[in-house]
Amino acid sequence: MSGISFKGVTKRFGGRDGEVLAIDRVDLEIADKEFVAICGPSGCGKTTLMRMAAGLDFPSEGTVAVGGKAVRGPGPDRAVVFQQFALLPWKTVKENIGFGLKCRGVPAAEREREVMRYVELMGLTGHENAYPHQLSGGMQQRVAIARSSVLQPDVLLMDEPFGALDAQTRVVMQEELIHLARRNPRTVLFITHSVEEAVYLADRVVVMSRRPGRIQETIDIGATRRAENWEAQAIEDVMDRDSFIHFRTRIWKLLRHRDEAAAAAQRPARRA
Amino acid sequence: MAWRLSRRAAIGTATIGASLLAWWLLTAVTGIVGPQRFPSPAETWAALAQLWDPGYAGGRLPQQVYHSLRLVLLSFLAASAIGVPLGMAMGLSRRFEAFINPTFLLLRPIPPLAWIPLAIVWFGLGDGGKIFTICLAAFVPATINAYVGVRNIDPIFLAAARVHGASSAQLVRDVILPGALPLIFTGLRLSLQASWTTLVAAELVGAFFGLGRVLNVAYQDIFPGMILVGMVLVSLAGAATTMALAMVERRAIPWRAPL
Repeated sequence: MSGISFKGVTKRFGGRDGEVLAIDRVDLEIADKEFVAICGPSGCGKTTLMRMAAGLDFPSEGTVAVGGKAVRGPGPDRAVVFQQFALLPWKTVKENIGFGLKCRGVPAAEREREVMRYVELMGLTGHENAYPHQLSGGMQQRVAIARSSVLQPDVLLMDEPFGALDAQTRVVMQEELIHLARRNPRTVLFITHSVEEAVYLADRVVVMSRRPGRIQETIDIGATRRAENWEAQAIEDVMDRDSFIHFRTRIWKLLRHRDEAAAAAQRPARRA
Repeated sequence: MAWRLSRRAAIGTATIGASLLAWWLLTAVTGIVGPQRFPSPAETWAALAQLWDPGYAGGRLPQQVYHSLRLVLLSFLAASAIGVPLGMAMGLSRRFEAFINPTFLLLRPIPPLAWIPLAIVWFGLGDGGKIFTICLAAFVPATINAYVGVRNIDPIFLAAARVHGASSAQLVRDVILPGALPLIFTGLRLSLQASWTTLVAAELVGAFFGLGRVLNVAYQDIFPGMILVGMVLVSLAGAATTMALAMVERRAIPWRAPL
C-alpha cells in the first residue's frame, strides 16, 4: 500500500530579498495505484511538490508521507523521471537502465536479464550500447522511464517527462505510458503544464494556482475514462470526445480565471 | 572523418614546410638574417650532428632528451596524483575547501621559479629539487580544474543517481568522477605544459644533464645552431607528450559527443 500524502505542506525559499512563499498549505491524498496529474502554470510549485515526495526537497511546514511513512530522503519505494531526462552521459543505455539495480547490489546476470527485458519493452533494441547523446530525445526519455520502471517502485514520480519532446513523439510516449500503467499499475504522481496531457493520462487532475502554489480544484477523470474505455482508443479519438473537451475547457477556465484574478490583484499592489 | 583528418594533416605539413622554406631563404640564400642573429639550416644540422655524436653539454642527444623527459613525466605524475584528488576533495567538501583555500591563494602568486633557491637549499642541485619545483608549477592547474570540474556537475545528475539508490561512494565513482573528467583532463593538459616550461627554466639554473643544460651551455658558448636544436627538441618532446595525453583522454572519455 503506497499512497502519497501531503498534509498542510508549505514551502518557503530563502532568497536575497527575503523569503518567497512557493507553496501554501497544500493537502493532497493520492491513493495506492492512483494516477494523479498536477497541472499548473510555471512557478506554481508543482515540481517542488514532486521533489518533496522524492525526498530531494523538504517542506517548511507540514508533512509529506509515502506509504504512511514520512519522507526523509530518496528511497527504494520511489523512482523519478525528470524532464531533462537526467541520463548519465558517460553510461550506455544498458548501464543507465541498470544503474538503480546495480546500486541495490542486484547480481550482474539478473541485472542483465531485467535490463534487456526493459530494453525490449521500451523499443530500445539495437541501441543498448549507445551513449545517451547518440539517441533522439524520445529515445532518451524511454531510457529514463526504463531506468525508473526496472526498479519496480511502488511510486513513480514524473516531472514533466514529455515537456522536452516534440509534439509527435510526445503523443506516442503518452500512449505508451498509458499502456505501461495498465500493464503494471502503480501510484503515479505526474507533473505537467499541459492540460491535454493531464486529462488524457490521469485518474485525477489537481489544478494549482500561480505562486504561491495552492490547490485550486481537483477534477475526477477516472470514472469517465473507465466508463468510456479511453484506454482502448487512439489518443486523437479520445481528445475528440465531448467528455475530454469538457474536462479540458473546465481546467483551462480554472487556470485563466485564476491568472486574471491574480493579475488584477497585483495591479494596485504594484502602484503602492 | 578520415578525409578531414588527412586534410588537417596536409595543411599542418604544408605550413611547417613553408616555414622551413622561408627559414632557408632568409638565412642561407639571401642572407637577410645574418648567421650571428639566427642560424642557417646547415649550421643547425651540424649542431644536431654534433649533439648526436660525440655529444654536447655532458651527454649525447638520447641521454639529454631522456633525462628531461623523465623529469617531466615524474613531476607531472606526482603533481597529478596530488593535485587531482586535492581538487576533487575541495569540490566535494566545503569544509575542506575552507581549510585549504587560504593557503592555496597565498602560495599561487609565487612563481614556481622563485622556489628554485629554496629547492636547491633543500634538495641540492640534483633531480629532487627540480621535481619539487616542476611539481609546484604543475599541480596548480590540475587542482583548480579538478575542483571546478566537481563543482560544475549538473545537480540533476546527482539527484537522478540519488533517487535511484546511489550511495555516497557510488555517487563519487559513477557520477562525480566521470562528470569531472573532461575538466580534469583540461587541467592535466595545462599541468603538462607547465611541467615543460618549468623544466627548462629549472635546468637553466643548474643541471648536469638535460635539454635546459644544452640550452644553457650553448648560450655560454654563443652557439646559435645548438640553441635552436635545444629549442626544437623541447618543442618536439612537449608535443609528443601532449599527444600521448590526448590519446589517454580519448580512451578515458569514450562518451564525449564529437564536436
